[in-house]
Amino acid sequence: MRFLINAKRFDAVSDILIKPLIFISIAFLIIGLLFALYLSPEDYQQGSTVRIMYIHVPSAWIALMTFLVMTVYSIIGLAFRMPFGFIINKAVAPIGAIFTLICIVSGSLWGKPMWGTWWVWDARLTSVSILFVFYLIIIFINKSFENNLVREKISAIFILIGSVNLPIIKFSVDWWNTLHQPATISKLSKPSIDPSMITPLIIMTIAFISIAALIAILRVKTEIITRENI
Amino acid sequence: MKFIKKIINFYFREYKVNLSGIFDILTNITFFFISIFIFIFSVGPEKETLSLLGVGILWTLLLLSSTLSLRKFYQDDFENGSLIVLHLNGFSFELISILKTISHFFFVQFPFMMSIPFASVLLDISLEKMYDLFLSFVIGSFILSCLGSISSSMNLLNKRNYLLGSVMVLVFSIPIIIFSVGLINIEDNFNSLINILIGLLLIIFAINPWASGACLKLAIQNN
Repeated sequence: MRFLINAKRFDAVSDILIKPLIFISIAFLIIGLLFALYLSPEDYQQGSTVRIMYIHVPSAWIALMTFLVMTVYSIIGLAFRMPFGFIINKAVAPIGAIFTLICIVSGSLWGKPMWGTWWVWDARLTSVSILFVFYLIIIFINKSFENNLVREKISAIFILIGSVNLPIIKFSVDWWNTLHQPATISKLSKPSIDPSMITPLIIMTIAFISIAALIAILRVKTEIITRENI
Repeated sequence: MKFIKKIINFYFREYKVNLSGIFDILTNITFFFISIFIFIFSVGPEKETLSLLGVGILWTLLLLSSTLSLRKFYQDDFENGSLIVLHLNGFSFELISILKTISHFFFVQFPFMMSIPFASVLLDISLEKMYDLFLSFVIGSFILSCLGSISSSMNLLNKRNYLLGSVMVLVFSIPIIIFSVGLINIEDNFNSLINILIGLLLIIFAINPWASGACLKLAIQNN
């Protein structure tokens, strides 16, 4: 597993990984969209709008996961002085921002027919929009510092401070009385969702994760090439 | 004893620097009052609306106007070399950030605290609410000073994007404004909310020296 912390190993391993990832992402996206749009049943209450969930939930998971990855790599970069952590930080921030935006927009499109409004100020929605602002600030930091060494350390410190938002997002549906529903799928209990709906959800999640990983690998490789000293 | 004398000298210098730049602070306070006027013109001068919205408006404007001058937090000392001189005199960067935070609290946030009574007269806030507002602002402004220390030390070498520091502070000040406005507006919930606010203050006061000390060190090494 040394390729996760070493730039040269990562470069070598990603060359092997990239073709299977392209195949997996295309295949799973096609199968997942087929399942999500045609083969899965309509909800008895929500009708066809339940299909937005197959986009919304995976992108929300990826939005959170990207920030978690950035937090871990900030610790690796700052504490163990491995510059590869900073490379990852710079590469994956826009991906997280885009997936957070997809999550917010798709949730808003679902909310208009279901809740009757595009946006409510409940805890989950607010904390996710703050997550989006965090991603934007990280991108701004990456764009506005001239000195490379300063930029990566400052953005890592900001990510570490900003990671207080992650548990707030995760537990916001339990701590506050929100309009957003609590987590349906959790590790500790049986999911409260029908198997005919969880299959496309899982397929779409795999597809989304592989797409995100693909973009991340390409961005990290570019970053490794353009960087002077690793 | 020598150390305490150094700290006293530090605050004496801060006092002199802030006294020479007193018109910056006065401009800040003028900005605060003018924005209150603008808010009143935009929502209308009815007493019911103002007493409903007053506390929220006041807190928002206090927040915005106290983040206006954040760029000067470390910038002047950094550019004229005072930070290096302080460090050579045996002050670690962590200690410098604590001292500067307390000095920012006294010399920049204190004038805002003094202007709260006048502003609450303008916005028709009752006397009991004003006491709560004052208390919440004493705690909240110290949190703002800590956040300002972190963000302005991060942006010392940022020569292009001047507003980034203020945006960072504003993002992290969302919980402060939630709890302090809740403290004033929600009845019989005073104790729990003030405990949360003090807890936030202690957390951020503990994080502040490490984060801003690291950033100051980074900025001085790479300038």
